[in-house]
This record gives sequence, C-alpha cells and structure tokens, in this order.
Amino acid sequence: MPGLLAVFGYGLITALATGLGALPFAVVRRVSAQTVAYANALASGLMLGASFGLVAEGTVLGNWQTVIGAVIGVTFILVTQILLKRHNVEFGRIRGAGARRMVLMLVVMTVHSFAEGVAVGVSFGGGMSLAVVIVVAIAVHNVPEGLAITAVLRPQGTSVLACAGWSIVSSLPQPIMAVPAFLLVEAFQSILPYGIGFAAGAMVFMVLVELLPEAYGQGRRPRVAVLVSATLLAMMLFQQYL
Amino acid sequence: MDPTLAVLIYASLAAAAAGLGALPLLVKRPLPVVWIGWANALAAGMMLGAAYALMIGGMARLPAVAALGAAVGIAFVSWTHAVSGTGDLPLNRLHETSPEYGYRLLLVNTLHSAAEGVAIGSAMIVSLPFGVFMALAIAAHNIPEGTVLSAILTTRGVKLVDASGLAVATKVSQVLMAIVSFALIGAAPGLLPWALGFAVGSLVCLVLVDLLPECYQQAGSTSIALVTIVAMGILVLLVSGGG
Repeated sequence: MPGLLAVFGYGLITALATGLGALPFAVVRRVSAQTVAYANALASGLMLGASFGLVAEGTVLGNWQTVIGAVIGVTFILVTQILLKRHNVEFGRIRGAGARRMVLMLVVMTVHSFAEGVAVGVSFGGGMSLAVVIVVAIAVHNVPEGLAITAVLRPQGTSVLACAGWSIVSSLPQPIMAVPAFLLVEAFQSILPYGIGFAAGAMVFMVLVELLPEAYGQGRRPRVAVLVSATLLAMMLFQQYL
Repeated sequence: MDPTLAVLIYASLAAAAAGLGALPLLVKRPLPVVWIGWANALAAGMMLGAAYALMIGGMARLPAVAALGAAVGIAFVSWTHAVSGTGDLPLNRLHETSPEYGYRLLLVNTLHSAAEGVAIGSAMIVSLPFGVFMALAIAAHNIPEGTVLSAILTTRGVKLVDASGLAVATKVSQVLMAIVSFALIGAAPGLLPWALGFAVGSLVCLVLVDLLPECYQQAGSTSIALVTIVAMGILVLLVSGGG
C-alpha cells in the first residue's frame, strides 16, 4: 500500500497536468469578439463531453445518487450566479458579465475537481498498479479541462501563464481530497456517485446558462454548432481510449 | 409482428405526436414568446438525452467507426443547412408571411426529422425495447417541436388544424428514414455503428443549430438552461434505469 505522501503527490501530479491545457492558447494573440464566441463553444463541447462520460460512470454506481448529486450541482451554480450578480465582481481589469463568467467558470471547475480527487483516493485503495493507471488517466483528462478554463479566461485578456496557474488551482482539490478518500475508502466510495452527479450537473448547467448564450451572441450559429458537437464527440473518444 | 412493420408503426406514432403540439394553441393564441422558448428548450433537452441514450445505451463504448459516423452526421447537418440557406436563418420568426420563408421553414423541419428517423431505425436494430424507447423519446420530443411550428405557422395565417397537419407532415421524413435505415442495416449489419454514430452526431448538431440558438432569444438563459437540463436528465435517468 502506498503512503499518504505518495497519494498526495500523485494527486498533485494530476493537478499540474491541468496547467498544460493553457499551452494551445499561447499562439492566440489577437482576440476578437468572434474568438471569444468560438472559445466559449470549444469550452462548451469539452465540458458537455466530460459530463456525458461522468454521467455514464455515475449511473453505473447509482442512478438516484447521481441525479440527486446533479440537482445539488445545478442549485449550487444557480446560487453562486445570484451571489456573483449581487456583488459587482471584478476579475483583474475585467468587470461585469465577463468577470462573472470567468469567476463562475473557475468555481465550477474547482468544485468538480473534488469528485475527481475522491476518485484518485479511492483508486489507491484498490492497489498500486490500478492506481497508477487511474492517476495517468485523470492527469490526461485534466489537460482538456485546463483548455476549457483557458478558453474562457484567455479571450478576456488573461495571460497564458496566469491561465495555466488558474487551471492548476482549479485542480488542487484533487490532492486535497485524495488523502481522506484513501484513508476512508469505503465511506468515500458510497459518496462517489453523488460527487460525480454534482460535477456533471454543475458543468452542463454552466454550459447552458453562461457559455452557449455567449457563443451564440457573437458567433455564427452553424459554426458554433459544428464546433460544440465535434468537440463533444472528440472528448467522448478521448475519455474512452486514454 | 414483422420487425419492419413494428418500425413503421412506432415511427408513425412518433410522427403523429407532432400533431399534438398544436393543443396548447387551443388554450392560448398567440402563444407567448417565452412559451415558445420553453417548448424549444424542452425539445432540445430531450434530443440531447436521446443522443446520450444512443451513445451509452446503443454502443456502451463509442467505437472509432461510430466516431467517423458522427463526423459524417455533423458534416451532413451543416452541409444541408448550408445548401438550403437555413444555417443563419432565424427559425422562429413570427408574423413573417413571405412564401420564401414558409418554404425554408418546412424544409429545415423536414431535414431535422430525417436525422431523427435514423436514430429510431438504428435503435430498432440494437433491440426492439431500445428501439421502442427511442421512438417514444422522439415522439415526446416531437410534441414541443410541433408546438413551436404550429405557433409560427398560425401567425402566418395558417389555420390551427392545418398547422397541426403540417407539423406531422414535416415528420414524414422521420418515418421514411427509420424504415430505410432499419432495412439497410438489416441487410448490412456492419453499418450499425456508422448509423448510430451518424444519429448521435447529427442529433447533437441539430440541437445546437436549430433549437438552442432560438431559445436564448425567446426566454431568459436561466429558465432555458433549467428546462433543458431537466428534460435531458429525465431521459438519461430512463435509459440508465431501463438497462
């Protein structure tokens, strides 16, 4: 059995992998309104694909638990959104709706990492060889999550380095949750479907309430549609074969 | 029962359901724009749920061939929208009476239904219960779609009963494609993952190009997101519970 420090370390590796997702945006220099729209469409496809995968996993563990988790996830986003609207949030030099979307995106991706951290911790309870496979899998899955975060932050003028930093921060719950989940595997195994449902519900709702309206507002609808559906399917494939 | 006959019956039932969509207009006419938005969102959520069901229930794993099929589906949707000039066309214009707009409106609805026919036909090949599930899901989805089309047509001066009939008529392509895809896959079983993939890709793309962009202009994004996610969640739950 691995030590606690090792579990934390592996969790940290998966978190750092999220930062790699910012790299493709290093080449994007001029950011027009259209870029914002298509970047939001890209993030939408990645998050919808990730959620479809999560739902498939969660419903195997428990249908109703996943649904309850999803309802809590949606409620959480609704409440956070209301709170953010009430306080005029700023993100760097950005204000208003843009800043709210950025903060909400970071909140969504951070809370969804809790479920992934639990998955890492629980998998270490099943022995080292399985665990390493799962750690590599989650680390690889984190890269498109970093891409999704960067797709929302970068067009608003956040630097690539800061995007990578925020991406890593959004995954920090992974090492933090991995340790207690590893210590109390059985207890955490039973809450895993709730966590998975929460993550999926929060991400799908975020896409529908913030990202897609923004994408349609600035981009041409056939392009948005093709971009979102192609990214969604690519994400599904990516999850199955990596 | 002959399996092809079963496909014909269930696909026809699904098509006929579109006619029920005119019922809300008996109560309230003209239909408030936010209601049209929610009807669109309801249809969008169920269609996303159906795509999920095809992906998970139909294939368990998405094989590489199915991914190619999905790419073909997405390409088909964007190509048909491009050549018919309906890609950027707002589909829910009220009181727009030009014949040109009416023709394009019916055309885009007919093309939309054709892809759903492939979904029913290929699900019927996977198994009869799964096919029936898919046909009923599409039938339920057709009702709000029928509501939207009837609401638009009646503002053009079409009588309600005719609008209801036209809503069913645009779904005839669904029956046709269900039977054609069922027969083709029956003759060449290797086509199944292609057809399932095609259905998934085209369904997702159609939600994004025909339904969701309209919704956000008709009602607030919070209510649209809620209606969509609940409709989708119910279908996901049904498909996971039913096996």
